[in-house]
Amino acid sequence: MVIFSTLWLQTVIIGLGTYFIRSGSLIGAGRINWSTWFKNWLSFVTPAVLGALLGPLLLLPNSHWEPLFQNTTLWSAIPTALVAWFTRNLILTVASGVVCFAIATHFF
Amino acid sequence: MNFSVKALRDASPIMIAYFPIAMTFGVISVNSGLSWFITFLISAVVYAGGAQFMLVSLAVTGSSPLSTIVTVLLVNLRHFLYGTTLGPSFIPWSERMKLLYAFGLTDEVFAMSSSRIEQSTPIPKYQLTFAFACYTSWIAGTAVGALIGSVVPTEISTILNFALPALFLALILIGQRSTSHLSAAICGAVVAFLANILHWGSIGIVAGAILGATLGMLLQTKMNKSRQ
Repeated sequence: MVIFSTLWLQTVIIGLGTYFIRSGSLIGAGRINWSTWFKNWLSFVTPAVLGALLGPLLLLPNSHWEPLFQNTTLWSAIPTALVAWFTRNLILTVASGVVCFAIATHFF
Repeated sequence: MNFSVKALRDASPIMIAYFPIAMTFGVISVNSGLSWFITFLISAVVYAGGAQFMLVSLAVTGSSPLSTIVTVLLVNLRHFLYGTTLGPSFIPWSERMKLLYAFGLTDEVFAMSSSRIEQSTPIPKYQLTFAFACYTSWIAGTAVGALIGSVVPTEISTILNFALPALFLALILIGQRSTSHLSAAICGAVVAFLANILHWGSIGIVAGAILGATLGMLLQTKMNKSRQ
């Protein structure tokens, strides 16, 4: 049984934090000069976090190791990645990914 | 043309894109066991696609509240860049207007705004209509997804779960794709995977983020130096 009792509070804190990041930087931009290296480092945080979230999802589907040939999530990620790379379209990538995964789950 | 009408016309591609993604979020969230209210609350107050899916996934896997908050906020740190990039063009605006606009500053809104704003000072009526039209589409999509979520068959919701890795893959591969950015993503993936194997839980995501970002930045610096 998953306990969600504090989830509303986590949601509110994340909401406030996100809003603070957006508003603070917009208002602060005219007043503070952030160092170049810090802004540069920040631009790498997003791909790094996305990679960190994606790695376990692909390699440990359902939270455990699956032999590579039986890992439908990993196999479906390959055509999905190709669609993302060539189309650079978010909706198209997600839609084709879901279709590939549906086919992979159905046949394997 | 009236500024509000023009803003709605310009926002329509984002509104059309947001609706199905928000709907998928609603379906996945309700199917993961979260209530309709929490699902709606997440979209209404967090309002950031990838981060919302992540919040649900971390909550369901039983990640500790603190690491959930830190992880999701780390992902949203990129919005800091959006504010600092757009900020100088908004200096003539009143603080109140800036505070209102900042709420709607998502990836897509930034991407559309940054290309237009450089040419002239942003007009509040246009910008606010634009940002809140996108927001309306997002919460409407979530509400519909959350309502139909409980009647969606299990097979379909299992398949829809792939929307999450697909979304993350898309965000990595359609963003900046230099060697250093892709290395940051791969480093993050390896660190988080190893941390999972070692049962370190969601510390792996935070560690992966910090190590990955640092590696990416160092690689970029090194490559720039060797080019000179």
